[in-house]
Amino acid sequence: MKKMEDIPDRKLLLFKSCMVSQEYPGIEKATKYLFDRLGIDYFVSEEQSCCTGIGHYVDLYGQLTTTAIAARNFAVARKCGYPNIACMCSTCYAINKEACELLNGNEEVRAQVNSVFREKGLEDLVYAKGDLDERTNIFHVLEVIFSKKELLTEMTEVDFSGLKAAAHHACHYYKFRPEDMIGNPENPRLIDGVAGACGADMLRWYEDRSLTCGMGFAQLHIHKDTSLKVTQTKLESLRKAGVELLLHMCPNCHIQYDRCQPVIEKEFGSEYDFVHMNIAQFAALALGADPYKVCGLQTHSVPLENFLEKYGII
Amino acid sequence: MTLIQIDEYDTPAGKSLAETIKASIRTPDSLGLDRCIQCGACTASCPAARFTAYNPRLLVKRVLENDRGVLEDETLWNCFYCYTCQLRCPRNNSPAKLVQVLRQLALNEGIGLENMEHFLGLGEFFAAHGISQVPEHYLGKMAEALGSSWVEFKRDLPAIRAELGLGSLDIRDERKEIRSILEGTGHFERAESLRARLKESGASEGIEENKFLNAIPGKNKSEDINLEKNGRYSGPEALIV
Repeated sequence: MKKMEDIPDRKLLLFKSCMVSQEYPGIEKATKYLFDRLGIDYFVSEEQSCCTGIGHYVDLYGQLTTTAIAARNFAVARKCGYPNIACMCSTCYAINKEACELLNGNEEVRAQVNSVFREKGLEDLVYAKGDLDERTNIFHVLEVIFSKKELLTEMTEVDFSGLKAAAHHACHYYKFRPEDMIGNPENPRLIDGVAGACGADMLRWYEDRSLTCGMGFAQLHIHKDTSLKVTQTKLESLRKAGVELLLHMCPNCHIQYDRCQPVIEKEFGSEYDFVHMNIAQFAALALGADPYKVCGLQTHSVPLENFLEKYGII
Repeated sequence: MTLIQIDEYDTPAGKSLAETIKASIRTPDSLGLDRCIQCGACTASCPAARFTAYNPRLLVKRVLENDRGVLEDETLWNCFYCYTCQLRCPRNNSPAKLVQVLRQLALNEGIGLENMEHFLGLGEFFAAHGISQVPEHYLGKMAEALGSSWVEFKRDLPAIRAELGLGSLDIRDERKEIRSILEGTGHFERAESLRARLKESGASEGIEENKFLNAIPGKNKSEDINLEKNGRYSGPEALIV
């Protein structure tokens, strides 16, 4: 199991996410805000591409394609001198970890990827074994924030005492590589740790806490009813638990909860009075960040104005 | 230029389904497929098993019995890829990984092609922009479901990103590296062959899978996002292969 002291705070490539960029850009801005306030050394590259995650998990891209794209992004990280990859999306995290392990451990795959680079005149992308280490160079942004949670407590400006919040941890973070996470995969508590440090009262457990958000990549498209049923099941559990806020760590979950909640309300005839946020948005708010100019909460489908008013933020 | 067949890596020929799965680069050498004790922890934990007829324990059993009928089992397409089965398996097996290889095998045999229809254009979009978008038909459905607030948000995205100090959505890729990599690793051939077989099979629902909502700032003006009365976007035919 990974220890908190293994999390780097220097030379981090903040790995952009397609879904963050296009649906909830405030997650990226809030992450940068937090990194700046916490004194973390990071860089964002214009050259870094999509990890292939969406296409990979809808069974479109072969593993070789996915691995070669990852190798290119690893070259980007290496070339700019920021070899510690920190992902905002749990699927980027899983894709990069798996590809890195394959590049280091499977000689045939590495040779094939490199031969594609050479044939296409992209010699500078060639991957040498051990260029990056899947365990010590690839992280989730939440791990970085979690490793600074004592600082967050010192810096928190907004009084969130009495806020009843719950966490949804991302499957592709803790279920995909349980040996490589901080804490216990049967009871992940990273979000709880960060939100707790900012003064929220975190619900210890709720029914279906470890159930997937329901997105399931192709599932939302090819089996939409089942996908929404899973999400509705979680929303019902949260309603019964009486939470005000659900915090997550992945834009795919974020879309499934925030964008689909009004759809589920309509289709299932139910009503939910809680709101959604990425943990980076919440921590940034706690530190006094602007809810719109930093956290980008205007991009949400479930309006947060009542919540923000209640805690004196607007 | 050596032609790469994706099949050689994802679904290498083997004496049995289990041999192909173990040899696939989608599964690690440590995969505990042969060690499965049929305990059912996977099925007990699985969201797809809870809400559909999918049964990962049974799927693993059928694979070990080399029952190729699993490829035609529609429940194969119910897995969420959430990896709860992998987390809970006491023998380091991963039904979620098995499903990834089995779906590729099914597609090779022309089974389940209709499940790919929405996604076949993702590679072209990726090659052109360096990022991925959700399929256009889904954006249309989102607009239909979420109404004007979401459509307005999509329209305002470039301005919101600018206010947040975020740069261009498209990546910088002067050498067209993404296109080269997709080409060199056989992606376009794979997508083209799936598209052709889908057309042949007559299973196509007639979704124009290459039509993506192009909301890329600097590429298209925001007015390009048009919402018709039926909730589907008419808007730009961004990328045609």
